[in-house]
Amino acid sequence: MKKLLLKDSKYEIKKSKIIKVTTLTDLEKFFEIELPGGDSLDHDPGQFVEVSILGVGEAPISVSSSPTKLGSFEMVVRKVGRFTSALHQLKEGDEIGIRGPFGKGFPVRILEGNDLVFVAAGLGIVPLRSLINFVIDNRRDFGKVSILLGCRTPQNMLFGDEVAEWTKRLDVNFSCTVDRADPDWKGNVGMITSLIPGVTLEPERTFAVIVGPPVMYKFVIAELLKKQIPERQILVSLERNMKCGLGKCGHCQINGLYCCQDGPVFSYDKIKGVPEAL
Amino acid sequence: MTRTKPKVAFFDFACCEGCQLQVANMGELLLDVLGLIEVVEFREVMSEKGPEKIDVAVVEGSITDKHAIERIKKIRDRAKVLIAYGSCATIGGVNGMKNNFKLDDIRKEVYGDRFNYFDTVETKAVHQVVKVDYFVNGCPVYIPEFVKVLKAALQGIPYEVPDHAVCVECKLNENVCMYDRGVACMGPVTRAGCNSWCINNGNICYGCRGMVSNPNENGAMDIIKKYNIPMDMVINKMNMYNKCREIDKREQKKR
Amino acid sequence: MLYNLSQYVVLKKEDFNGFISDLVKEQKVVAPVAKGCGQFSFEEVKSGSEISIDYIPTILPPKKYFMPRDENIATYDLSNGEDMEPVVEYEKMLLFGVHTCDLAGIQCLNMVFSERPRDLNYLIRKNQITIIGYECNFYCDRFASCRLVHNHSPNGGYDLFFTDVGDRFMIHVNTNTGEELVAKSNLLRKAGEKDFEDLQRVREAKNREFAKNEIPIEHEKIPELFDRAYNSKVWEDLDKRCVACGNCTNVCPSCYCFNMIDEPNLDLKTGRRYRQWDSCQNESFAKVAGGESFRKERGARQRHRYYRKFKYPIAKFSRFFCTGCGRCSRTCMACINLKETLNSLIKEQGMENPEAGKV
Repeated sequence: MKKLLLKDSKYEIKKSKIIKVTTLTDLEKFFEIELPGGDSLDHDPGQFVEVSILGVGEAPISVSSSPTKLGSFEMVVRKVGRFTSALHQLKEGDEIGIRGPFGKGFPVRILEGNDLVFVAAGLGIVPLRSLINFVIDNRRDFGKVSILLGCRTPQNMLFGDEVAEWTKRLDVNFSCTVDRADPDWKGNVGMITSLIPGVTLEPERTFAVIVGPPVMYKFVIAELLKKQIPERQILVSLERNMKCGLGKCGHCQINGLYCCQDGPVFSYDKIKGVPEAL
Repeated sequence: MTRTKPKVAFFDFACCEGCQLQVANMGELLLDVLGLIEVVEFREVMSEKGPEKIDVAVVEGSITDKHAIERIKKIRDRAKVLIAYGSCATIGGVNGMKNNFKLDDIRKEVYGDRFNYFDTVETKAVHQVVKVDYFVNGCPVYIPEFVKVLKAALQGIPYEVPDHAVCVECKLNENVCMYDRGVACMGPVTRAGCNSWCINNGNICYGCRGMVSNPNENGAMDIIKKYNIPMDMVINKMNMYNKCREIDKREQKKR
Repeated sequence: MLYNLSQYVVLKKEDFNGFISDLVKEQKVVAPVAKGCGQFSFEEVKSGSEISIDYIPTILPPKKYFMPRDENIATYDLSNGEDMEPVVEYEKMLLFGVHTCDLAGIQCLNMVFSERPRDLNYLIRKNQITIIGYECNFYCDRFASCRLVHNHSPNGGYDLFFTDVGDRFMIHVNTNTGEELVAKSNLLRKAGEKDFEDLQRVREAKNREFAKNEIPIEHEKIPELFDRAYNSKVWEDLDKRCVACGNCTNVCPSCYCFNMIDEPNLDLKTGRRYRQWDSCQNESFAKVAGGESFRKERGARQRHRYYRKFKYPIAKFSRFFCTGCGRCSRTCMACINLKETLNSLIKEQGMENPEAGKV
C-alpha cells in the first residue's frame, strides 16, 4: 500500500481559531471563528460548514452570521451529542478545523426587491439570522420585512439583544410568541402558526423564509399557502445529517436529493412532491 | 490532557478474570497503554492497593451478593470514570444464568445444608447497581475495542457501542454464514464491535456482547423458522449471556 | 454483432496457469477463490490453480478494492494545534475474472465519484487497478437478474475481457493497458476466423440462455413502476421481515455510503481520519444530532435502498444502479429477494409483461 499526501483534497480543513465563546442558554453556546489570515468565509446566508475537532470528529454546523460581517463568522451550537459536547468544552483561543461553506443558501439575488416574511422557531433562528442580518445590512434592496419568532419559553430566546434591536426598528415588523410564558412575559403565547394570520402582505411579491424544527414546516407552510403566497416563494432550510458535505456519503439524502448539495435551502414547489422532505 | 498520567485501577467481581488476562496479555500494545496511564491497582498483576481517589476504575465481573454491592458503590465513589468491561460486568454474562432459579435452591446446591451462612442476590450487571460511563462488551473483551474505549475515556468523550448486528462485520470479513453451514449463530441479534472475532475463527457467535437495542423480533423468528432451528435452543443460547436483560426491561417498565 | 478482428487474442486453456503466473510476477493479482459452501471471495492469488474461474458472485464485490471498507483520508497531529494532512492510499493491482455485473458496479462507482465535487481518493486508486473481465455463459443461480438491467453482456469497463469458447479463451483487448499486457505475454496468439465463429456460437447460445427479462417488465418501464409504487404495501411487508442487518448494502456493488470517523493513536496527539462503509439500513443512519431519525421504519429504509437502485440514479446518471448480481437476495437471512420484491410491485401495479425483453 502506497501513501501520498493529497493536495486539493475535499477533506482538507482550514485551521481556524475560536475568538469568542458566549454561553447563551443551558444548552446553547455562541462561537465566533476566525479563519487563517482573517480570510472571509465567503458564504451565502443559509450555508453550512463542517467543523472538525481532530480526534473527536466532524459535524455540519450552520453559519449564523451574515456575509456582510467580515473577518470572522459565527455559529451557535446546541449540546446534544458526542461532537457538540466536545465543542462546548473549547475555549477562546482554541483551534478547530473548518471545511466549506457547503450547500445552496438562500437565493439573495432573487429575494432582492421583494417583501420578506421570516418565520423562525426554536433553533431555526440560528441559520435564519445569517439572512436577517444580511437583509438588515442591505435594507434598501428589499421591500417590507416581517420577522415572526417562536421559542419554547422567554428564557430560550437566543440573541435577545439583537431581537430587541429588531423590535425597535421601524423598517422591520417584528412579532414573537412563546409556548410557555413566565409572569414577566407580555407578548403572545402559543404556536408560531398563530402569528401568521395577523401579517398583512401582498402575496405575489412576498417571499416567506421558514426555519425551525422538522415537525413545524407542514403547519407553517399550510398557513402561508392560505395567504396565497406562491409555492416557489416559500423557502425552507432542512436539517439532515450532512456528514461529508460533498453529496457522496448518503446520510443527508432526502429521496433523490442530497441535502448538502441540493439544499439545505429548498423552495416549497421543489420539495412538495418529495415525500421524505417535510 | 494533564501532564500527570491518569490513575487507573482494575477491579474484579464475579467473573473468571479472563478479561484481566486479556489486558495483561495485550503484548506490545500494553507498553503504549502504560505510557498513557498509571496503573495503581490490578490484582492479577500487582499487589499494591491504589489511592483513595482514582481517575478511572475498570471493573470486571457481575454483582452477585450484598458484599459486592457495597464494594462496587465504594469503587464508584472513588472513581471519576467507571468502565465496565467484559460480559459479566456489562450485561451480567453467564452469571446471569443464576437468575433462572430460586436463590435458595442455588445456595443449597452450592453450599449444601450450611447454605444459610452465605448470602446471595440476583445477578446484576454493573450498570444495574451503579452508574457506568463506558461499556466494553465481550467474553472476553476484544482488545482493539478495549483500547478504543480507553482512549475515548481519556479524551473525555463518549464511546458508542455499535448498535448494529455482528452480521455486518462478519459479512465485511467475508465469512461463510454459519446458517449456510447449518449452525445457529447469535450474530443477527448481537451487537457488533468485536469484528466478528469468533466467526472469523470458525466458531459461532454466542451473543456475549448483548442484544441490539431495537431487534426486529418477528423478523428474527422468521429466520429461525426458515433454518429449522428449535426455538428453545435459541432462547437457551440467548439466555446464556443475556439473562440479566430482564432486569433492564423490568426497570424500564417501572419508569 | 460487429467484431473487430484486430482487437482479439486467444489463450489456450492449458496455458491459463502460465498466463496468471506471468501476471503475478509483475504485480499483485486478485481473483475469485472458493470459500466453501458454494461461496467465493476476491483474494490475492499467487497462481492460476488458486482461482475458481466458474464462480458465482463473490460475498463482497470488487468494490472493496476501489473504496476499501476502512479508508484513511487524513492523518493529524495536534502538537501544534489542529494540523491535518489529507492522504490517499493506493495499491497497484490487477483484478482478474470480474463478471459483467461487477464491471457495471465499478462503472456506477466511477460515475458517483467523478461527479463534482470529485473524489480524488477514489479516482487515484481506481487508476492503479487493471481489470480483466470474465464472461458468464450461463446463469450463476436463481438470484441473478442481470438481463433485466442489461448487464449480462459486456458494456466496457475492462482492460481485457475473457470469454470461454471451449478449449480456449477469446480475449477482447479494450485499452492500451490491455494491449501492454498482451504484448508482454508470449502465450497469446492473434484471433482467427475460426475463433470468431466459436465466439459467435457461444454468444448465440448465451442469448438463448438469457432469452428474456428475469422479471416480467420492460427495462424502460422500471422507472414508471417505481414512480407508482412509493406507497406500496410491499414495503410494509419488508418492514416486518427486515432485521436491518445491513448485509444487503454491504454486499451491493453499487452501494457507496460511508461514515467518517476519527481515531486517535495511543499518544492521543496523533491519529487518523478514515471513511468506513455505512448502511442506510442501520438504525442510526439518517439520525440528526438531536436524535430525530428521518427514516425510522425498516420498511422505509428498504424502500430507500430499492429507490437508490431503480429510481434516483436514473435522473442523475441515466442508468440503473442495480447490477443484477443478486448478492442482496443471496445474502439476506430474512429471504428478502429482489426479484420477488419487483414481482410483487409489478403485480400490484398491473404492469406484468411475461414476454418482456424477449429476443
